[in-house]
Amino acid sequence: MNFMQNPPAQHTSEMLLGSDAIAYGVKLCRPEVIAAYPITPQTHIIETLSSMVDSGEMPSEYIKVESEMSAIAACFGSVAAGSRSFTATSSHGLALMHEMLHWFAASRFPLVMVNANRALGAPWNIWTDQSDSLAQRDTGWLQIYCETAQEALDTILLSYWLTERIMLPVMVMIDGFILSHTMEQLFVPEQDLADRFLPAYQAPYHLDTENPLSFGAAATPDNFYNLRKALAKTMKNVPKEIEEGAERFSRLFHRRYANLEGYRLEGAEVVIVSSGALTGTVRIAVDRLRDAGKKVGLVKLRLFRPFPREELLEMVQGVPDVLAFSRAVSYGAGGTLAQELRASLYHLESRPRIFDVIISLGGKEVFPETVIDVVQGMGGLSPVNSNWF
Amino acid sequence: MEIINQDSLVAPGDLNEAPISMTTTEGNLTGSWKFFSPCLQEKVSPCRTACPIQNNIAEYMYFLNQGEKDRALEILRESNPLPAITGRVCPRFCQQECNRLQLDQGVLIGSVERFLGDYGLKIPYPAPEKKRSERVAVVGSGPAGLAAAYFLARAGIQVTVYEKEAEPGGLLRWGIPEYRLPKDVLRQELDNLINSFNIGLECRQDMTSEKIEALSSDYQAVFCAPGLGASILPREFAGYDRVRQGLDLLYDLQQGRIPEGRRFAVIGGGNVAVDAARSLLRYGKEVEIIYRRTYAEMPAYPDEKRHLSEEGIPVQEQSLVTDITPHKGALRLSVSQAVKSEQGIVPGPVGSEQEVDVLVLAVGQTEHLRIEPKERLFVGGDLQLGASSVVEAMATGRQGATAILQQLDPEQEAPELPAPEPAAVNLTYVPRKKPLLLRETALEERVSGFVETDPGFSEDEAQLAAARCLSCGKCTACGLCWFFCPDVSIALETEADPPGVTIDSEHCKGCGLCAFVCPRGVIRMEED
Repeated sequence: MNFMQNPPAQHTSEMLLGSDAIAYGVKLCRPEVIAAYPITPQTHIIETLSSMVDSGEMPSEYIKVESEMSAIAACFGSVAAGSRSFTATSSHGLALMHEMLHWFAASRFPLVMVNANRALGAPWNIWTDQSDSLAQRDTGWLQIYCETAQEALDTILLSYWLTERIMLPVMVMIDGFILSHTMEQLFVPEQDLADRFLPAYQAPYHLDTENPLSFGAAATPDNFYNLRKALAKTMKNVPKEIEEGAERFSRLFHRRYANLEGYRLEGAEVVIVSSGALTGTVRIAVDRLRDAGKKVGLVKLRLFRPFPREELLEMVQGVPDVLAFSRAVSYGAGGTLAQELRASLYHLESRPRIFDVIISLGGKEVFPETVIDVVQGMGGLSPVNSNWF
Repeated sequence: MEIINQDSLVAPGDLNEAPISMTTTEGNLTGSWKFFSPCLQEKVSPCRTACPIQNNIAEYMYFLNQGEKDRALEILRESNPLPAITGRVCPRFCQQECNRLQLDQGVLIGSVERFLGDYGLKIPYPAPEKKRSERVAVVGSGPAGLAAAYFLARAGIQVTVYEKEAEPGGLLRWGIPEYRLPKDVLRQELDNLINSFNIGLECRQDMTSEKIEALSSDYQAVFCAPGLGASILPREFAGYDRVRQGLDLLYDLQQGRIPEGRRFAVIGGGNVAVDAARSLLRYGKEVEIIYRRTYAEMPAYPDEKRHLSEEGIPVQEQSLVTDITPHKGALRLSVSQAVKSEQGIVPGPVGSEQEVDVLVLAVGQTEHLRIEPKERLFVGGDLQLGASSVVEAMATGRQGATAILQQLDPEQEAPELPAPEPAAVNLTYVPRKKPLLLRETALEERVSGFVETDPGFSEDEAQLAAARCLSCGKCTACGLCWFFCPDVSIALETEADPPGVTIDSEHCKGCGLCAFVCPRGVIRMEED
């Protein structure tokens, strides 16, 4: 997107911090309840939201809580009561929420949570790293990784539309500091436009003292199994739902986001798969490698859960080598992204070789040169049982 | 088994997909699980317990906060017939026990009482429910006598009050300077009380023990509260024209008789000493207080002492006047340092001399009438208690009235005062409020006349002050228990009179959260 162009209709153009972009996105969605606990590098988001609530700019209920566990539990209560809700966290905060993440998804409660990706100790580290969110991949939440602040703002709107449609919670990831603490020129939609995209939430089921029902009470093993099967079915269907959401979104906002985005894939012999803000850096490296005659392409993975397997297959079909750039490791197994790719592509008769690259952890800087070095040094790598640090 | 693929469309939001019961859970009587039950029990607020006349502060504050000023006044008058007066001169025992002191600032109860009292000055009391034929005499129209007259008259008794002076009020009239209690307020308060109940008033009746004896044969009962009319005069000070008694001096000042002389010394540390000194200052006299103990030990009310210091009246602490000698129309005082010994406070070796024109003694009062209580003759006020506060005297008036009513009608049960069970409050969820500032009249204006030191609260200020009251021990239907109840077993009855909550014991599991969070200590868990 050319950011020097004029904003589309019913948008204003503003220089905003990534955190503020998200806060504006949340405000446009009119959540009734916000419950959150501050943690670097997410704090700016809820700070901005709390001032908006305090000034009366945003008529939401802001619940101050004493921990992230309480934040997600408060949201659990407000969503159970039928309210659109929001929370944001990062790193240790997300880890603290872990138990409730399972409950949220399996209760089929809609929520949008922003996670500013950050490393978990030890040692203390506040910089970007996807270990926090990727460790939550099996909780039943959708996971979307954003490359830019504009994408993050727009993804908030898309996520509310989606979560209330499929009744599964959505986690929206931004890179701590790289997106949260830098400014971009952004197109901020007007409220009327947001309202046209996102109608008020009508909970299909909610706590009602007039008709008391039990939520999440003990179930028989068979019941449990069937409920989880239903959850898995919905997950399977999510990419299609997202497609519909993206189509509606593009009609109103004149921009579109795909679950996977291919870049310079024509005739590519090497494809880098990357996610989050790192993708911007890889994009530049790919351009330089192409200029140097290397047939390198890029796949940006935006949707991580559910894993967009079908779309991935289309993009990497016939590509000999795939480099999976991970910012998280499952120690003793390998980079999280490489594992996901291998699992998705293994059944292909002619499948690419997958190289596992732990490109960065704890905010270790990645420059275009870093990416170029990796691609140029590939010759000495084995795709089998190796992860390249 | 079923194969899940993308074509297995499941309708989003289908109840079958969410772990929710298919039918209502209301039939599941979870109340049977509990072995503790919440019980609603209103308690007595600590301010009420501290109040000698047990003003129902929590209750009248509540109605004031609901905008029901008249109902608040009615509740205050249940126990206090002189709120415009006590709102000014009471040392405010209540405020010292206010639970809110633990949070930000105690409720300024006295100022609210004064506001309500002033509001009631022109509002007559309702007529008693029934008239009775019995007649009771009250001797003395000070706070004790007036309180007795009120509680008797309210029960329908015909009351006649005998007063020594030309106008009623006793110590309220001639003992308390106008800067603490304006005569106009006193007159309106007393007129309203006396006229509302048609209380008979016989002024200029100098009673003797014999006359009082005689009254007890004319009336069904006599309540006798003539006060302590005699001042204590130590022998060494007797016989000097220029030595004055504190109460006598206050009396003369009220009558407009200002003593001659420029330099005054007042011996004593109680309220009379402070009243005398501050009054003399307002007549342009040079005045100091000589007290045998320290300033901190002076028994005068703290506010009075503070005003004394603010107004620049010096206190010669730990000093004893050992001798006085007339000297050229003045008095020469020998003043010694006071030393504590086994014999009490005695003059020490260090001494000095100073000259004053008038020496005022305010070292205590004693009875001028000896009256023994007997059948049909009841005693109250300072004669019973010794020198005490206005409100404590009023309490004896109420007790006397209750005793008389019981004697007249032994069948009648005495009205039961609530047991002083303190309300255990929980301030965790009470929002802090900005403390209120008490305004005081500017010093210059204060010392140049008898304008009230405390200008009192406007209606807005009084409302702000009342809004700080939690009404400890009273359910105000604040809704905190309703909010916290995890079993939706508490219903708020905000429209009820009085508003409150009801507990659904069929579903309450007895967790006790309601009892824990209740800011007013109204819910108690009891074992089933």
